[in-house]
Amino acid sequence: MRRTYLGEFEEIVLLMVAILDGDGYGVTVSQALEEHTGRIVTFGTVHNTLIRLEEKGFVSSDLGGATAERGGRRKRLFRVTALGSRALQEIQQLRQELWQMLPPGTLRLSSL
Amino acid sequence: MPPKSRPPRWADWLLERFLSPYLLEDVQGDLHEVFYKRMAQVGVTRARHEYSWAVLHYLSPFFFKPAPSEPNSSVYPSPSLLNLSMLRNYLTIALRTLAHNKAYSIINVVGLSIGLAAAMLIILYTKDEVSYDRFHANNPNLYRITSRDITPGDQKPGYNTNTGIFQGPKFTAGTPEILSFVRFQSNQHDIKQGNEVKSQETFSTDPEFFQLFSFPLLSGDPKTALTHPKSVVVSEDMAEKQFGTREALGKIMFIKTNEQFEPYTVSGVAKKCPQNSSIKFDILLPITISKEDFAQSDNWFSFFLNTFVLLRPDADSKAVEATINRIYQTDAKNTIVEMAKKFGIKSKTIYSLQPLTEMHLSTDLPVNNGLVDESSPAFSYILSGIALFVLLIACINFVNLTIARSLKRAKEIGVRKVVGGGRSQLVVQFLGESFLLCFVAFGLAILLLLLVLPTFNQLANKALSFMYLLDIKLMAGYVGLFLMTGLLAGFYPAVILSGFSPVQSLYSRFRFTGRNYLQRGLIVLQFSLASFLIVATLTINSQFNYLTTKSLGYDDSNLVSVNKSSLKRNEARLLKSELMKFPSIVDVAPKNQGFWGTVAKVNGEKQLSFAYETVDETYLPLFKIPVLTGRNFSPDFPSDSTQSVLVNESFVKEAGWKNPIGQEVNFFAYETPERYKVIGVVKDYHFVALNQKIRPQLFTMKPKNDFGKVFVKIKPHTETESLRAIEQTFKKLFPISPYSYSFLDQDNLKKYESEAKWKQIMLFGAILTIFISCIGLLGLATLSAERRTKEIGIRKVLGASVSSIVQLLSSDFLRLVGFSFVFAFPAAYYAIDKWLENYPYRIEISAWMFALAALLAILIAFFTVSFQSIRAALSNPVKSLRAE
Repeated sequence: MRRTYLGEFEEIVLLMVAILDGDGYGVTVSQALEEHTGRIVTFGTVHNTLIRLEEKGFVSSDLGGATAERGGRRKRLFRVTALGSRALQEIQQLRQELWQMLPPGTLRLSSL
Repeated sequence: MPPKSRPPRWADWLLERFLSPYLLEDVQGDLHEVFYKRMAQVGVTRARHEYSWAVLHYLSPFFFKPAPSEPNSSVYPSPSLLNLSMLRNYLTIALRTLAHNKAYSIINVVGLSIGLAAAMLIILYTKDEVSYDRFHANNPNLYRITSRDITPGDQKPGYNTNTGIFQGPKFTAGTPEILSFVRFQSNQHDIKQGNEVKSQETFSTDPEFFQLFSFPLLSGDPKTALTHPKSVVVSEDMAEKQFGTREALGKIMFIKTNEQFEPYTVSGVAKKCPQNSSIKFDILLPITISKEDFAQSDNWFSFFLNTFVLLRPDADSKAVEATINRIYQTDAKNTIVEMAKKFGIKSKTIYSLQPLTEMHLSTDLPVNNGLVDESSPAFSYILSGIALFVLLIACINFVNLTIARSLKRAKEIGVRKVVGGGRSQLVVQFLGESFLLCFVAFGLAILLLLLVLPTFNQLANKALSFMYLLDIKLMAGYVGLFLMTGLLAGFYPAVILSGFSPVQSLYSRFRFTGRNYLQRGLIVLQFSLASFLIVATLTINSQFNYLTTKSLGYDDSNLVSVNKSSLKRNEARLLKSELMKFPSIVDVAPKNQGFWGTVAKVNGEKQLSFAYETVDETYLPLFKIPVLTGRNFSPDFPSDSTQSVLVNESFVKEAGWKNPIGQEVNFFAYETPERYKVIGVVKDYHFVALNQKIRPQLFTMKPKNDFGKVFVKIKPHTETESLRAIEQTFKKLFPISPYSYSFLDQDNLKKYESEAKWKQIMLFGAILTIFISCIGLLGLATLSAERRTKEIGIRKVLGASVSSIVQLLSSDFLRLVGFSFVFAFPAAYYAIDKWLENYPYRIEISAWMFALAALLAILIAFFTVSFQSIRAALSNPVKSLRAE
């Protein structure tokens, strides 16, 4: 079976889209990113990633919600697809399993 | 809202330009939203910067690509023609097939590279030819004043490229469109070089020379270099020779003018004249025209120099021509009438302007009188023709061999098609292979070019260098040549091979039909070109032999010619008596220098122009030229020098005399007309080169005419001691005159240099075409022998002899070669007939030349083919029959 690889940044953006729950588009996603992770990313990068995610089938998009400040242009609103949520869950689960395999004390020691 | 409180227009423009349309709306909307938000937070300027910065991040191919394909379009992506892994596969296959068929690859590459090298060489040559005189910054406003004489009733005007002292200054003064003029006169001056005296070509010119022409000076002021009458500008080579250094400014040079050496100050050192310049000077002197000369109106009729003018950039050359002709008609009005009366000139002179850049290749108005490197466009045409022939033949080889060999690749093509290779992919593959071969050939051709360039330079009398190649236009030309060759050679095979039916080719029942016509046609074409060139070469060869060995009507062996300008009678006598003291010297005869011509009246009114020779009584016997009727000059008749002349047979014929002896020749053009009696008729001899007809000739002993050279007849095989004797005597008698000698028979050979050049070029071309045709034939013979291995095996088993098999394999090709003569010979006959018309004395076109060419072509083809057929015929049939 082909496993779609999800990069670290892609994963975070996908999570943000999930968090924003139907309200995620370029501006809100990058704002949320800045707010929650403290990362400052260029606009193009966020857009790029969103389009990539859509191509891979993790998110789907619809046009809508035009406002005056946008010059009457519609937003591309993203929503996580079933494939996307499964991928997020798989990652979550994998991490969980891996954490549980960690011998107790290892991380604490090394962090010292 | 202040006017600037919106995103920058250019950024929006960029976005609209470079963003895929399906993304544009929401991306731009997002960006605008952020912009207005930021404007409120940090102000307009900052927001605008951020907006621009953000836009720049969208300028990447990622956002430029079109929308992902609609779900209903094909699930299978259509492979691009230039898929990387396919390309890699093509390359591997191409290299493998090349390595597998070494003979085939070598023939193709070598043939193509020779063809390409020839074409490159010719491009180089032609480029140089057309680049002549183009380096002057004042082009295209530079012109030379030329003229044509139109005689009523005569169709062809007489062209004159020279002018006199008047045309430049008078036309310039009267025509506002002419900015300035420069006269350029060639002279021969004696120059002191250390203790020696050398005769050197010098040029006299006007002070504007360096403003008109772009000849940079290493030192000295171009504006004033030639203003002082006793100044001289030398080339860097001359400065090196004369002073041992290029820093020659202000040094003194002794130049003999007006019978004595006078000091000239070097006022400028010029850079060496470019190779592609019609003007090449070593010594430039200011031109001096005396007041008397300038006052004498008949100098309108004295033409001896080149005049160049610079027109205003907006001037219309046709209008200027009209103006200068008007000036001539007014200024020279009286003289024209006077001259017409005096000489009976009926012709009318019309001046015209010739662009400087057209001079080099002009046939009607060639460069002369000090301007050098006269050339004819015919050379460029013929050379281009030969190069095209060679390249064409190489391409034909390529096509022929690729198609012939394609049977072997039929399986590959079949498999490719079965697994889904499209026709266009196959075309790309085969074209790519041909380009690959072409590329290798191209590299080889450049190497070859470097190798033969020195030889070619010698042959074509050029100084081309490889650095010439580093020119944008030329590079483009070569790349074009490369693409054209690749396409020409690869296109047809690519189309044919890609059209194979996979079923047939995989069943191995594949046979070409109809293809043979093309292949045969191409062989015929190849050999037509080759045999055409063989005939041409043979003709030129025998015409050349004819020119150089034909009896000239006089004996030019063991004759040394020594120049001595203005040799007086007593000096000549003294020189002769001194020389005759040496036993190795047979006789001495003085003569005038160069070719003199003049005009006189015979039979009362009839005017005749003729070569005018000043000799003494020893001249004819020395050259063993017979006097047919009458007698030679003789010391027994002291009045000979003032009353008698000898004429040649052509003169008699032209004058229409039945009884020439005693006829009168009237030199009416002199101040006081002089009349002479003909005392003898000399047998016609070729006093000019054989490519000119013998003209009327007249011999005189007139004491006022100075001699200019002496011919010394020496005993055979005494060259060394005779030359030493002549040199010693000459230096003793004329210590300040330059001494130079030459052998007359060698001089005579030099007259045919142009023919010698043609001969070499033709030979070169013929050998190349034959060679390339033959390697092509060799390749084809190899492939055909390979294809018929089984057949040969069976024939041998059934008892065929080696010779019958050789015959079987060769006869096909030989028939084609024979067929090519049908086309080649009529064309060749026509071409050589036209060429030979240039020569009044020429060989007859004879059948043996064609027979020889045919024999040669067939022999060469036979040897090429039989090499393969004999090998095939000798092979063991067991091997060929067992191999499956």
